[in-house]
Amino acid sequence: MRIPEEADFASPTHGPRVSARIGLWLGIAFGLCFITGLISHGIQHPAAWFTWPSRPVSLYRITQGVHVTSGVAAIPLLLAKLWSVYPKLFGRPLVKSVPHALERGSILVLIGASFFELLTGVFNVAQNYPWAFFFPTAHYAVAWIAVGALLVHIAVKLPVIREALTRSEEEPRPTTGALSRRGFLLTTGVATGAAVLATVGGTVPWLRNVSVFASRSATGVPVNRRAEAAQVSTVDESWRLTVGDVEFSLAELRAMPQTTADLPIACVEGWSASATWTGVPVKDLLERAGVPAGSDVRVESLEQGGLYRSSTLPGTHTADPLTLLALRMNGEVLTLDHGYPCRVIAPSRPGVLQTKWVSRLEVR
Amino acid sequence: MRWVIGVLGVGLLGWGVVELVPVVFDSPLSLGGWLLGGPVLHDALLAPLVAVGGVVVSRVLPPRWRAPVGAGLVVSGVLVVLSIPYLWRTFSGPVTPGLHDRPYLAGLLIALAVVWTTVVITGLVRRENTPATP
Repeated sequence: MRIPEEADFASPTHGPRVSARIGLWLGIAFGLCFITGLISHGIQHPAAWFTWPSRPVSLYRITQGVHVTSGVAAIPLLLAKLWSVYPKLFGRPLVKSVPHALERGSILVLIGASFFELLTGVFNVAQNYPWAFFFPTAHYAVAWIAVGALLVHIAVKLPVIREALTRSEEEPRPTTGALSRRGFLLTTGVATGAAVLATVGGTVPWLRNVSVFASRSATGVPVNRRAEAAQVSTVDESWRLTVGDVEFSLAELRAMPQTTADLPIACVEGWSASATWTGVPVKDLLERAGVPAGSDVRVESLEQGGLYRSSTLPGTHTADPLTLLALRMNGEVLTLDHGYPCRVIAPSRPGVLQTKWVSRLEVR
Repeated sequence: MRWVIGVLGVGLLGWGVVELVPVVFDSPLSLGGWLLGGPVLHDALLAPLVAVGGVVVSRVLPPRWRAPVGAGLVVSGVLVVLSIPYLWRTFSGPVTPGLHDRPYLAGLLIALAVVWTTVVITGLVRRENTPATP
């Protein structure tokens, strides 16, 4: 046995023609994933200039579904891309010049950051955390590294890419392995389709039974955080909702005009579920409390600890009549796990910001 | 054009490094392992396995079976990778109502059965004189 050399890889599944095509698909997947990721980050950590519309009500469901799905699709694409250039790993000499060393270094950064994003992403979707760092911070930071290294790579390879994608004729190379060039591209497409089909049912209802690796099960609205885990127990008659300086009892909330709307819960982890919610529009509550329409409102939960015990509803959302303080889901009084006595359900928002067990709306 | 893309790339990369600094100080080993783990596992384990698999398939199988079996192995491999976060749950959060409560092992086996049924059907319906690959 000896270490293989670059020339040992004779299969037509290697080389720029395959690499540039798969690279193009992978670049599209990364682009979609990056942009939708920035959107999700922006909604959760809004900069002063950032606004996110409350309509269409499914907008976040779609952007976050695209985020997770494009990430899943990128896994087979990345593996195929790496296979197409694998012989390069055995190119010798290891380093020819300073620019060559920088290029190889940037590719290591690109591959490391890409695997990091895709693998931590699919583990996080499964709520599985085999690491010691805080996922959102690391996943966000490494995304910039991956996309930056990708742009550097594209800049270096642009002439090769251009030639590979535009040149129409090439010496046919005999198939030496299992697959021809076309067969390899076709297989990559099928594997990508299979990966998407196996997972996308978490957010596309009619594929729910087909997607064997969907994070949510086939029926019902999932509960991400149980009352027990949040250390919240059911409230008694003395419970009051505080809005600004005004207090409401549960009976008073039930006596107010109710709005019923079909709104999705769309989790940052990519699953989503639609339900019919009934409750009091936050807009009406703010009006009763004498708060100007379109104010930012901080929502506090009965939950004492936890990263997501409170959220901020931006003015765009508090002005929307479909932003509800829900008392009922699918016609039934909210269960404790779903946020009894009341929870926020706003259109086009990450599920993690749809605060449950609400105790206070504080005007900011 | 190339320079614009390249400079923009270096800028974004640098910004990412700045954003990553707190994580580096917080949990350097875990972060380093996850950043290097992908390339190392791929280059030293996964890609050689694929190479050996390709050689075996092309030497052992008759021509008309090579492409379907090769493609079947690739798709199966991807499905197995996607199943790992659901089957290996040592570091997972608790299962909650409606989430992560599907029979994932059964799902994987069914998906693999569908893949290999397709492989067998494809192999059988390909004409004997088909070249080794489509």
